[in-house]
Amino acid sequence: MIFRTPILTLLLVSALAILVALGAAWFGQRVLRQWDLTSGSRAQLLMERRTELISTLFAMVMLAEAVALFLFVFNADRMAALFVGAMCAVGTLNVNPYGFPALYAKIGVFFAAAVWLVMDHVDRLGRDYPLTRAKYALVLAIAPLVIVAGGLELAWYLGLKTDVITSCCSKLFTPANAGISDEMAAVDPALALWALAGAQVLVLALGTFAAKTGRGHGLFALAGAVFFAVALTAMVSVIALYVYENPNHHCPFCILKPEYGYIGYAFYIPLFGATALALGLGAVAPFKRRGSLRAPLPPVLRRLTLWAMAGFAAYGAVTLYAIARSHLILFG
Amino acid sequence: MISLSDVSKTYNEGRPNAVTALHGVTLDIARTGVTVFMGPSGSGKTTLLSLVGCMARPTTGRITLDGEPVSGLPERFLTELRRVKFGFVFQRFNLIRGLSVLDNVMLPAAPSGEDPKAVQARAMMRLEALGLAEKALMPVEVLSGGETQRAAIARALVNDAPVLIADEPTANLDTALTHRFLDIVAGLRDAGKTVILTSHDPRIISASAVTAVVEMRDGQMVRGRG
Amino acid sequence: MKTLRRQRALADYTLAALARRKVKNSALVGVFSLVVFLLASAMFFASALRHEADTALQGVPDLIVQHLSLGRQGMISEDRIAELESIRGVSKVRGRLWGYYYDRVVGANYTVMVPDGGAMPPPGQVIVGEGVLRARGLDWEGAPLFLSRKQGDLSRFDIAKTFDSDSALLTADLLLMNEADFRAFFSVPAGVYTDIAARVRNANELATIVDKATRIMPDERFVTRDDIARTYMKLFDWREGLMVALGAMAMLAFAIFAADKASGLSAEESREIGILKAIGWDTRDVIAMKLWEGGLVSIGAFLLGCVAAYAHVFWFGATLFAPVLKGWAVIYPDFPLAPVIDAAQLVTLFLLTVLPYAAATVVPVWRVASADPDAVMR
Repeated sequence: MIFRTPILTLLLVSALAILVALGAAWFGQRVLRQWDLTSGSRAQLLMERRTELISTLFAMVMLAEAVALFLFVFNADRMAALFVGAMCAVGTLNVNPYGFPALYAKIGVFFAAAVWLVMDHVDRLGRDYPLTRAKYALVLAIAPLVIVAGGLELAWYLGLKTDVITSCCSKLFTPANAGISDEMAAVDPALALWALAGAQVLVLALGTFAAKTGRGHGLFALAGAVFFAVALTAMVSVIALYVYENPNHHCPFCILKPEYGYIGYAFYIPLFGATALALGLGAVAPFKRRGSLRAPLPPVLRRLTLWAMAGFAAYGAVTLYAIARSHLILFG
Repeated sequence: MISLSDVSKTYNEGRPNAVTALHGVTLDIARTGVTVFMGPSGSGKTTLLSLVGCMARPTTGRITLDGEPVSGLPERFLTELRRVKFGFVFQRFNLIRGLSVLDNVMLPAAPSGEDPKAVQARAMMRLEALGLAEKALMPVEVLSGGETQRAAIARALVNDAPVLIADEPTANLDTALTHRFLDIVAGLRDAGKTVILTSHDPRIISASAVTAVVEMRDGQMVRGRG
Repeated sequence: MKTLRRQRALADYTLAALARRKVKNSALVGVFSLVVFLLASAMFFASALRHEADTALQGVPDLIVQHLSLGRQGMISEDRIAELESIRGVSKVRGRLWGYYYDRVVGANYTVMVPDGGAMPPPGQVIVGEGVLRARGLDWEGAPLFLSRKQGDLSRFDIAKTFDSDSALLTADLLLMNEADFRAFFSVPAGVYTDIAARVRNANELATIVDKATRIMPDERFVTRDDIARTYMKLFDWREGLMVALGAMAMLAFAIFAADKASGLSAEESREIGILKAIGWDTRDVIAMKLWEGGLVSIGAFLLGCVAAYAHVFWFGATLFAPVLKGWAVIYPDFPLAPVIDAAQLVTLFLLTVLPYAAATVVPVWRVASADPDAVMR
C-alpha cells in the first residue's frame, strides 16, 4: 500500500461511515419492528429521541462521504505520477481490478446518501415522523452498500503496487477497446449532442411542470436519471473532445486536471448534485398526501425542484461554454 | 378547556425506584380564569402541572387541550405545542446566568425562526409592561428577587402563549411582592389568558383573582372548588 | 428563511454561551489547534518538499546509464557513449563524474561532482553549496578549503563561488570540481565515468529506447527521470504519511478528550440545557446549538492551526520536523520553502481533524440534549 495522507483520510472517513451505518442499521431494524407512535411508553419516547442522534450522525458521515468522493477522484488523479503508464485518474484506478468498482460503489453511496438526506429533511417537516419507517428501511439498504464501498476502497489501496504498468484513458476510451467505455466513446458526436439537448429540454420541462403544479416529481426524477446517463455519454463522446481540442481524446477524468482549469468540477458538481436532488424528490413525492406533510412539503419540493433544475441547466451551460471556447471544429 | 381523565404518572417506570406521583386524576380546567393547585410538597401538584403544560406524557389516562388529545403525541409535537400554547415561570425562576435580561426573555422564541427584530420588539414590550425596560441589557445576576420573577414572567409571555403556568411563584417573595405578583396575574386574566399555579401559600389561595382551587394530597385530588 | 433565522438565533445563543465559558473553550481550541498545527505542518512541509524536488528534477537528464558489476554500481567505460549515441532519438550523451566525500573534520558527507559545460571551475578551485561552508565554518571571503582523502595527504582548493540557496535541497552539500582535479583527488583513471546521462526528446519513446539499449548493453542499468521522480514522491509520501499517522494518534487522543469534555458537563451547563428544554427547545434544537458550538470551536482551531503551521513551515523553515522529513544527513539545506498549498490539502486536513472531533462529540451532546424537559421542575 502507498502511505499517503489523502488515502489515510479516505480510509478514516470510510471507517467512520461503516461504523455509523452499522449503528444506524441496528437501530433501523428496531424501528421497523417496534416503532409505535401511538404508544406513550418510555421505550417509544427514548426511541424517538434516539432518531435525532442517528439522523445527526448519519447526515454528518454522509456529507463527509460526499466530500470524500471528490477527494477520492482528486487523489487518484494526483497519484497517476506514481504509476508507469498512468496519465490521470483512469490509470490509477486501473492499477488493480478494485479501482473502478470502488469508484462506482462510492458514487452509489453518494446517491443513496443524498436520497436519504432528502428523506430525512422531509421527515423533520412533519411532526408525526411521517417518513421515519421508510427512512430506516432505506438505512438497512444503504449500510451494506457503505460496507462494500469501504471494502473495495481498502482492497484497491492495498493492491496499489507501483511496479505495475497500467493502461490509461488513451487505451480505455477508444473504439478499439471493447466495453461500455468504448461504446460511449463510439457514439456519434452529433447524435450525442442532440440527445443531450433533448434530455435537457425534457428535464427542464418536467421540472417546470412539477414546480408549477406540485405533481409529477416521480417523472422528474426519472428524467433526471436519464439526463445523468445522457450527460455522461455526451461527455465521453463529444464534450471531452471540445475541452481537449483533440478529436481522439475521450477521457472524462482528464478534464478534472489543472491543465484544463479544473473545468471538470464545473460539469460534475452541478450534474451530481442535481441528479441526487432529483432522485431524492422522486423518493419523497409519494408521501405528499400524508396529513402532517400536506402543508409544509409542497414549498420544500418546489425549492428542491428549482435547485435541481438549476444544476441540470448549469451542466448544459458549461457544455455550451466549453464548445464555444474550443478551437476544435467537429461539424461543418 | 384542558381536561384530564383518569391520569396517572409513574416516574422510573419498571425500575426498582419507581414512584407513582399521580393516581387517576380527573379534572377540567377552564380557559378563562386563574386555577391554583394546592397541597403540601410531595402531593403531586408539580407533576400535575408538568402534565398539563405538556412537559411530560402521562403513564396512563388522557389529556385533551381544547378538545384535541395531547397525551399520546410524540415529543416533537409536544414541544412545539408547549412553545406556542404555554409560558412557564419556574419556582427558582431559572433564568440563564451570564445572559442579559433581554436575551433571556427572547430564548423561547429561538427555535421558531421568527424575525429577530419582531421578537425583540415583543420582548421589550413585555419588559416595559412589567417595569423592567431600563434593566433589559443588564445581566440577570444583578436583578433583585422581584425583578427576577418579573423577568421570568416576561420570558413566559414572549411567545404570546395563551396559558401561563407558574410553579410556586411566591415561595421566595415577601408580602408586598406577592401582592404585586397577584396584580400581574389579575391583569393577565383580564387580558384573556389562562393562568395555572401551584402553591401552598394561603395569600394566593385566598386571593380574589383566583377563580378555581384544586386540592391535592398523596397524588390524588382531594377537593376542587370553583 | 425560517430555517435560516432559527439557525441564526441558535448561533447567537451559542456565541453568548461560548463567551461565558472562555477558559474551558479556549483550552479546547488551544489543544485542538495544536493537533491541527502538527498535522498541517507535516502536510505543508511534505508538499513543499515535493514541489522542491519537482523543480530540481527538471534539470535531471531523461536517461541515466550505470554500469553494474557484481550487482553494484561500478565505473562505466566511455565506449558506451558512442553506443548510446547510435540509438535514434537519443541526444546529448555525456559521461558524468561524481561521488561522495566523507569529511572527517566535521563528520559530514559531501557530494562531489564535475559539472559539464560553462560551470566548470578552473583547476585548483571549487564551487560549493552553502551547507559545506556552514559545516566547515568558512564564513569569511577567500578562505581556502582543505580536503584530505587519506592520512598525510592534503589538497588545497580555493572557493570560486558559492551556490545561492534557491535550489538548496540539491546543492547544500554539493562540491563542484574541475575534471582533472577530480580524477587526481579520487584516483579515477581516464576513460571511465561514474555514469552516463542522455536526453530523449520524445518521452513516449523512452520505453522503446531503454529496451533497445538494454539489448546492446546488457550489463548496464538504465534509470529514467520518471523513475527518480517516483522514488522521490514515494519517499516524501511515506515520510509524510508516517508523520500524519503520528499526528492522527494525537487527534485520537484529542477526540477522546473532547468526548470526555462534552459528556462531563458542569452542573451549571446541564441546568441550562434543562431550562432550554423546559421553555420549549426540542432535542434537535439543543443538538443544533451544540453543533454550532462544536463548529465554531473547530473552525477557530482549524484556522489557528493552519495559520500557525503556514508560518512554521514557510517562514521558520519547519524547524520542528525538518530532521524527520528531509532525512538524517548532517547537512540540512537551509532555505525558505516556496509556499505550495492546494484546496485538496485543506479538504484532507479538514476531514482528518474536524470529522473525528464532530463524531466524538455527537453522542455525548445527544445524551445531554435528550434530557427530560420536566427535569428542572422536579
